[in-house]
Amino acid sequence: MSSLVTPADQGVAVKTGGKAKFVIGALLILGAIAYVTISSFQTNAIYYLNLQELNAQRGSLINQPVRINAPLDKSSAQFDDKTLTLKFNLKEGNLVLPVVYKGVKPDTFEQGESVVAEGKLGQDGTFYASTILVKCPSKYESEVPK
Amino acid sequence: MSEHALADLAYASLLISFFLTIYAAGAAFFAARRQRADWFASARNAMFVVAGLTTLAVAILEWALITHQFRFEYVALHTNRAQPLFYSVAALWGGQEGSLLFWEWLLALFTAIVLVQNRDKNRELIPYVIAGLAVAQGFFLALMTLATEPAQSGFIVLTPFTRDPMNALVGNPFRLLDFTPRDGQGLNPLLQNPGMFIHPVTQYLGYVGFTIPFAFAMAALFTRRLSDTWIRTTRRWTLVAWLFLSLGLLFGMQWAYMELGWGGYWGWDPVENASLMPWLTGTAYLHSVMIQERRGMLKVWNLVLVMLTFCLAILGTFITRSGVIESVHAFGVSSLGPWFLVFLGVTLLSFVYLLFNRMNELKEENELDSLLSRESSFLLNNLILVGAAFATLWGTIFPMVSEAFTGKKVTVGAPFFNQVNGPIFFALIILIGICPLIGWRRATPENLLRNFLRPFVVSILVAVALFGLGVREWYGLLAFSAASFVLVTIGMEFYRGVLARMQSEQENPVIALVRLVANNRRRYGGYIVHLGVVLAVIGIAGSTFYQVETQVNLKPGETARLKHYALQYDGLQMYPAENHQVIAARLTVFENGVRVGTLAPEKNFYPSPNPDASQWTTEIAVRTTALEDLYVILAGFDSQANTATLKVIINPLVVWLWIGFATLVAGTVIAALPDPREARVTARARVQEVLAQA
Repeated sequence: MSSLVTPADQGVAVKTGGKAKFVIGALLILGAIAYVTISSFQTNAIYYLNLQELNAQRGSLINQPVRINAPLDKSSAQFDDKTLTLKFNLKEGNLVLPVVYKGVKPDTFEQGESVVAEGKLGQDGTFYASTILVKCPSKYESEVPK
Repeated sequence: MSEHALADLAYASLLISFFLTIYAAGAAFFAARRQRADWFASARNAMFVVAGLTTLAVAILEWALITHQFRFEYVALHTNRAQPLFYSVAALWGGQEGSLLFWEWLLALFTAIVLVQNRDKNRELIPYVIAGLAVAQGFFLALMTLATEPAQSGFIVLTPFTRDPMNALVGNPFRLLDFTPRDGQGLNPLLQNPGMFIHPVTQYLGYVGFTIPFAFAMAALFTRRLSDTWIRTTRRWTLVAWLFLSLGLLFGMQWAYMELGWGGYWGWDPVENASLMPWLTGTAYLHSVMIQERRGMLKVWNLVLVMLTFCLAILGTFITRSGVIESVHAFGVSSLGPWFLVFLGVTLLSFVYLLFNRMNELKEENELDSLLSRESSFLLNNLILVGAAFATLWGTIFPMVSEAFTGKKVTVGAPFFNQVNGPIFFALIILIGICPLIGWRRATPENLLRNFLRPFVVSILVAVALFGLGVREWYGLLAFSAASFVLVTIGMEFYRGVLARMQSEQENPVIALVRLVANNRRRYGGYIVHLGVVLAVIGIAGSTFYQVETQVNLKPGETARLKHYALQYDGLQMYPAENHQVIAARLTVFENGVRVGTLAPEKNFYPSPNPDASQWTTEIAVRTTALEDLYVILAGFDSQANTATLKVIINPLVVWLWIGFATLVAGTVIAALPDPREARVTARARVQEVLAQA
C-alpha cells in the first residue's frame, strides 16, 4: 500500500504539467453539475400562484403543473374515507377554487388556515392536487387557551 | 419564589450573559493584541460565568415545564398536564424561544469545554477563539433578550424588571401571561414521538458543534497561524459535530417515516434540505483536511469549507425558525429572520475580508502531481459534495430569490432534487469505491487495473444476477451494481490488512481484524463509515425505485392483498391511552399464505380544552424484514359500520438505510477515538512549532 507518506517525501514537489489540467478538470465537473442543476430546474420549475394570479392566467395554465397557496374554506371540506378522496374549496376574496385530492387526509387538516397544493387545473375549473400541505396558524405552536 | 421572581432571575441571567459575551469578546481581543495574561484570564472567566448563567436559565425553564407553571407563556403553549413527563422535558426545544435558549446553552457548554481542553495549549489561538465564540453566543443571547417585533423596531428601553417591555421580546423564553391558565396547550401531538425527543437534540449538537472548528479557523486567520494546528486541534470536534449531524438526519428520517405517515422518510422539504447541506459540506471538509495535514495543500479551500458549513448550519436554524420557507417541519412565522440574515452577512463579510488579507500566507506547500492520485480523487469528491450542496441550496432558496427579484414566485419540488442529486450521488458512490484504491501522489494505470478488476467483475455479476431475477430498470441495476462494487473494494481493504497481520504477526483472523482497526482507527473507521453509506444507498435505492402500494376499504373478515402479503381485517378496537384516545384497526398478516403476526395501525385523538386545538394523529404500523417493510396506514374508519380504509405500502430494503446509518455512526466513533499514532504526530508537530519559534 502506498498510503503511508513519511515527512521526508512530503517536501519533494514533483513538477509535471502544472495546475492547468486540474483547473480544466474541475471546471468540467462544475460545469456538468451546473448544467444538470439548471436543466433540471428548467424542466421542473413551476409557478407558485395565489388564486388571483391563477385566475388571471387560467387560459394558459390548464393542465400545466402549478403550485397554489390560498385560504381554506373549512366548511366546504368533505372526505370520503372509502375512496380516500378529499374535496374542499379554497377561497380568496370572491374567488372560489374547488380542489380534489386523492390520498390520506393530513392530520392537521381540521386546524388548517390555508393550503399549499401542487397539481393541475382541469378543463372543468377544478384543481386536481397531487400533493397538499396544510398551513396551520402556527405550525407547531398554537394560541394560549383562555 | 414567585413566578415573577424566577422569570426575572432567568431573564436577568440571559441579559447579564449578553453583556458578558460582549465584554469577553473585547477583553480577549485586547489580551491578544497587548499580550495581557490578566485580560485573557478575565475573558476566559467571563465565558465560564456565561455557561453557568445560561445553565441557570435552562434549569428554571425546565423546572417550569416539569412542574406546569402555566403563568409562563412558553409553558402554557408547549405543555399540558396530561402529556407524559418525557415530552414536558423535551418541550425545552419544542418551541422557538426554548430552542434558541437550547442552542445558546449548548454553545456556552461547548465553549467551556474548549477552554478547559486548551488551558495549556494554543495560547495564540485561544483568545481569538474566545472572541469568536463570544460573538456567536452574543447573537443568540441578543435574540432572546433584545429582539422585538418589527413594529417596535430598534432596541426598546428596558426598565429593569417591569413586565411590559419584557413581554414584547419575541425571543424571550420567560414571557409571563397576565393570568394563570388551568391547563396548557400541550406539545403538538405530531411531535409526541420518541424521535422528537432525540432528533432536535442531535441536530442542534451537530449545528452548534461546527461553530467550534469555525471559531478556530477564524482565529487561525486572525493570528496568521495558518498551518494545520487549528485543523488538528478541532479534528475531534469536527468529527463529533458531523456524527451528530448524521444522527440528526437519521432520527429526522425515522420521525418522518413513523410519524408523518406518508410512506417515505425524505421529501426534499426545505428543513430536511437545511439539515442535509451542512452535512454535505462537512463531509467534504472531513476529507479535504486530510490533504492539508499530509501535503500542506488546499488551505484556502479548507477555510472556505468550514465557513460554508457553519453558515449552512446557521441557515438551517434560520429556515427552521423563521418560517420564510414553507415546510412541514418549520415553526410559525417569526420576526427573527432579519436578525439571522444580518448575522450571516456579518460573518461572511468578515471571513472574506480576513481571507483576502491573509492570502499571502496561504500558499500551498506542494503541488498536485498527477490526475491519478488520492489527492485528485479527494478533490473530485469535494467538488461533487459541494456541488450537491449548492444544487440543493439553489432549489431550496430559489423561490425566495426569484420573488425578491422578479416578483414572480417559481418553485421546484422533489422531482428536481431527485433528478439533480441522483446522478451526483451515483458519482459519489463510485468514487467511494475508487478512492481507497488510488495511492497518494501518483498511481499507475497498471496498479489501478489490478485493484479494480475484481470489484468490477463482481459488480457486473451482480447486475447480471439481478437482471436474471427480473430487475429490468436501468437505474436500479446501476445503483445495486455500483453498491456491490464499493462493498467489494471495502471488503478487499479489510481482507488485505487482515491477511498481512496474520502473516506478519501470526494472529488468528478475528484478532488480526480487531488489531488492524484498533491500530489504524482513522483509516478503518473511515472505511466503516463508507460501508455505512453504501448500505444506506442500498436502502434508499430499494425504497425509492421499488415501492408498491394499494388502498382498500375493508369490512371485518375481509382481506387486502399486496404482492405476497395478505392482511385480514379483524375489526376496530378503541381504548384510552395516557393523554389520547386510540382507534386501532386489528390486522392479521399472512405472508405467502402463512400467518406471520398482527399489525394495528392507529388513529389517535388528542383532546384539548380548546376544541379547535384538538387533533388527530395517524400512527402507522410496520412489519420489518431484511428485505422489505410492510407499512400500513389507517387512512379512515367508520366506527358504526366497523369498517376501515387502509393504505398498504411495501417499501423494499428500508431497514438497510437504518443499518447503514448505524454503521456510519459506529465508524465515526472509531475514527474519533484517541489514536496513539495520531498523538505521536500531533506531539511531533507541536515540537516542530516550538522549535520554529525559538
